[in-house]
Amino acid sequence: METLFLDLGLPHTLSSFLAMTVWAVLLIHFLAIYAGVTSWVERRVAAKMQSRVGPNRVGPQGILQWLADGVKLILKESIDPEGADRFMFYLAPFLMVCGVFATFVVLPWGSFIIPADLNVGILYLISITALVVIGILMAGWASNSKWALLGGMRSAAQIVTYEIPVAMGLLPAIMAAGSLQMGHLMAAQGWAPWEWFAFQNPFAALSFFLFFIGSIAESNRIPFDLPEAESELVAGYFTEYSGFKFAAFSLAEFGNTWVVGAVTAAVFLGGGNLPAFLGESAILSLVVFTAKTLFAVFLLMWIRWTLPRFRIDQMMDFSWKYMLPLAFVAFFGQAIYMMLTYESAMAQQIISHGMFLVFLLVLFKFTGRVMLNVREQLSPVNSPASDLVAPAQPTVETEAQAVTE
Amino acid sequence: MNKELTTQFMTINMGPQHPSTHGVIRFIIDTDGEIIHRCDPDIGYLHRSIEKIAEKVTWQGFVPYTDRVDYLCAMNANWAYSMAVEKMIGVEAPRRAEFIRVIVAELNRISSHLIAIGTTAMDMGAFTPFIQLLREREYINDLLEMASGARLTYNYICIGGVMADLPLGWSEKCEEFIHHFDLAMEQMNRLVTYNQIFINRMANLAVVSPQMAQAYNLVGPNLRASGIKRDVRRDAPYSVYPELDFEIPVGKGLEGEVGDCYDRFFVRVEEIRESLRILRQCLKMIPEGEVMAKVKKTIKPPAGHYYVRHETPRGDTGYFIQSDGTTSPYRLKIRSGSFTGMSIIGELAKGTFIADLVAIIGSLDVVAPELDR
Amino acid sequence: MNQYFHNMINGIQTVFEGMSITLASMFQGPATVEYPDVDVRSVDSIRVGLKGKRGYKGNLRGMPENYRGILDVDMSICTACLICMKACPIDCIAITNVKCDKRKLQGKNGKPAAQTRAATRFDIDIAKCMFCGLCVEPCPTGAIFHTNEFEMNRDNLEGLILRFVAPEEAEKASKRAAEIAVEQAEKKAALAKEKAAAKGEDS
Repeated sequence: METLFLDLGLPHTLSSFLAMTVWAVLLIHFLAIYAGVTSWVERRVAAKMQSRVGPNRVGPQGILQWLADGVKLILKESIDPEGADRFMFYLAPFLMVCGVFATFVVLPWGSFIIPADLNVGILYLISITALVVIGILMAGWASNSKWALLGGMRSAAQIVTYEIPVAMGLLPAIMAAGSLQMGHLMAAQGWAPWEWFAFQNPFAALSFFLFFIGSIAESNRIPFDLPEAESELVAGYFTEYSGFKFAAFSLAEFGNTWVVGAVTAAVFLGGGNLPAFLGESAILSLVVFTAKTLFAVFLLMWIRWTLPRFRIDQMMDFSWKYMLPLAFVAFFGQAIYMMLTYESAMAQQIISHGMFLVFLLVLFKFTGRVMLNVREQLSPVNSPASDLVAPAQPTVETEAQAVTE
Repeated sequence: MNKELTTQFMTINMGPQHPSTHGVIRFIIDTDGEIIHRCDPDIGYLHRSIEKIAEKVTWQGFVPYTDRVDYLCAMNANWAYSMAVEKMIGVEAPRRAEFIRVIVAELNRISSHLIAIGTTAMDMGAFTPFIQLLREREYINDLLEMASGARLTYNYICIGGVMADLPLGWSEKCEEFIHHFDLAMEQMNRLVTYNQIFINRMANLAVVSPQMAQAYNLVGPNLRASGIKRDVRRDAPYSVYPELDFEIPVGKGLEGEVGDCYDRFFVRVEEIRESLRILRQCLKMIPEGEVMAKVKKTIKPPAGHYYVRHETPRGDTGYFIQSDGTTSPYRLKIRSGSFTGMSIIGELAKGTFIADLVAIIGSLDVVAPELDR
Repeated sequence: MNQYFHNMINGIQTVFEGMSITLASMFQGPATVEYPDVDVRSVDSIRVGLKGKRGYKGNLRGMPENYRGILDVDMSICTACLICMKACPIDCIAITNVKCDKRKLQGKNGKPAAQTRAATRFDIDIAKCMFCGLCVEPCPTGAIFHTNEFEMNRDNLEGLILRFVAPEEAEKASKRAAEIAVEQAEKKAALAKEKAAAKGEDS
């Protein structure tokens, strides 16, 4: 985009500034709309899983529900709790939004479009998301509420704990690509699933799992939603928030799902790579990338509406006792794997194809379970057919009739 | 400078408007960070003086109030009260009525346990099983609505029998439901009961030893989870229960010690299975005949006092009635399982996390209206 | 150590099992009854949508015939006997009655019933009513009964009191009662006169 402005004959500094501004404006609008629509999608998906209908009144199928919610929240009175630290109270939601939004700098949009392909891409992403924890902690502290404080403290513990497995989970991918740059990470993979990093070898697959689980924890979603556990802490760190500030929290929360999905898609699921016969179409690449991202987002929702929540000590145990050792296994395993198969492309091919076959087998088994469960759920109950079989109930009370003398 | 730094306990007010204190119950908890040091249950927010109302209404007129004592198992409450009055006036319900009572009460027991299981799962953060179980409960409500005409406060079992006979086609519908529910319940077990995260949350938490359970006078599933096989349906049988073949599930310490939260949860799951067994038998054995014994319009029981025990989903529920020979009770006292369940929470919650307190409340199945009456 | 791996493997298995169940649930239609869009008043009408809306496709039923909704009274067969008023545990039925011409009615279950009094006021306060059905049971003629009507939002509290006797009718009834009283007094007087006359003849 910068070259576009340079071609117009603008000076270098001005054109790069303009390019950045345009990107920022585009992205913040994307974030806002994406977060809104996702909140509706999530509610509909949850409703589907729970035999409910979900929001379906505003617009066709309720698709404008997020607009109605947003307008309502903006018009709401903004309440400051008694004794709150006003400055921090107001700052916290915007820090959270900043933390999420700043990651969009390095998130790619397919193989060819990327706002800024920094050479420290992944490292930048990991470090900038730490802004979110400051926001949460600030919100919890400044609210002058005990529930919010507990939520804030939980969140700080959680995010600090899960940074490590997440970073360790990304390491094998970085080792394989030999770069921290997003573009290089994507270019190191191919279009086909067996060329994706998630199926490269068993250790890469393990690191993919670890990264995904850690990301769920970092985005504060079930089973790791302890900071906002509604049955324990009312609403956690945003208990006292209302109006637009509350909307900013939801914006950050739902925006985070895109960040998790996009990083997963770019680093582990082959990014926006297209097969050779499709040529180098930026649009097509964008579509492929978005599809993969949205699949990852759906996975997040699916997990959220399936699992119960961890307890705080179990959550810590899970990270330090299970995920961290496994992350080390993945890290060293990847190193050994790379050393052993360094010269043999054949071995690499066999292992990655084998991994993909194993994945297909698991998928096949899983589909079988799903079919069984669908059949079980469709077993008839209260069926209208049995209404028709049984004759209508004769009225017990004989109609009393007036008999005049 | 040898002044030591001291830490203070944080006093938190949990409830009455807290999402996990279903109904309105309040806990005052002193915490050290996340760990509870003292938990003080505060009850009485849902007190409606039902026992006092009983002294002002007629004997039949109190039956609809028993619906409100414990709205999750209105049939059982109806039955307990009706049984007490029947004993006083020496009336025996016809055999068909007794079978109908067992059927509707066991259906109601299932629906009550579904709520207990579902809300526990919801407090653990799993929202889907709760809604799915509520969906199954709606089918039970449909069945009971067909029989009684209401979905929640049935007022179906009355003194001397039941209000109306089962409509035609009801037992077929009930069998269809039992078949469906067997599968659905097993599926929900796979979704939440056997889930490793859920087991970790519930196992080895708030262990109630048999001695402690008896000392606190726990009843029903809470007592049975501690390994004590005690059930009014078996120990002091009433109605047609002696003819039926069913087991009394007790806590076995499946994932930890006997009497932990998981056992209390699992005993309810197993009780649902036993209730389904009872239902299957009853639908086969139910005879034809009258559903209502001859009862005078104005009941005047002889003076004296009576106590009737009845096994509701909350356990051994007692109705103590004192009559002075007039048209309304002189004194009526309800002994409820939730009350003793509530009294043990303060003891169990010590040293656990805030998140555990929610699990303890859920596993003890405390129902606020029955607690306060 | 064994426990460690058991936890890990069991955790993964159960999570996948749970996810297969939630995915399977997505293929099942909603069980929610979208209430104002469908008419829930009967088993059949719930499957037909109102005003071009989709009907209900799930497994739940509409109301059965014996549903206990708002009470209704058929004044043409009401004997104003006050039994329902006495049966009501919360006193939401208020009846006053006066004497009227005697007529015979066919009661519930074939038992005969007779009307000797007419209601001048028959109010049911449905704000208090708890729909227990205790008033329906003892009614000798089946005049008071539950309907399938359950929508009872009114714009004021007064609207929640159902009045089954119009003021004109009440007036008519009380006028008739006065006439009856006069007639009976006359009859009585006539009887007394006759008796006195008979006595007089006797003595």
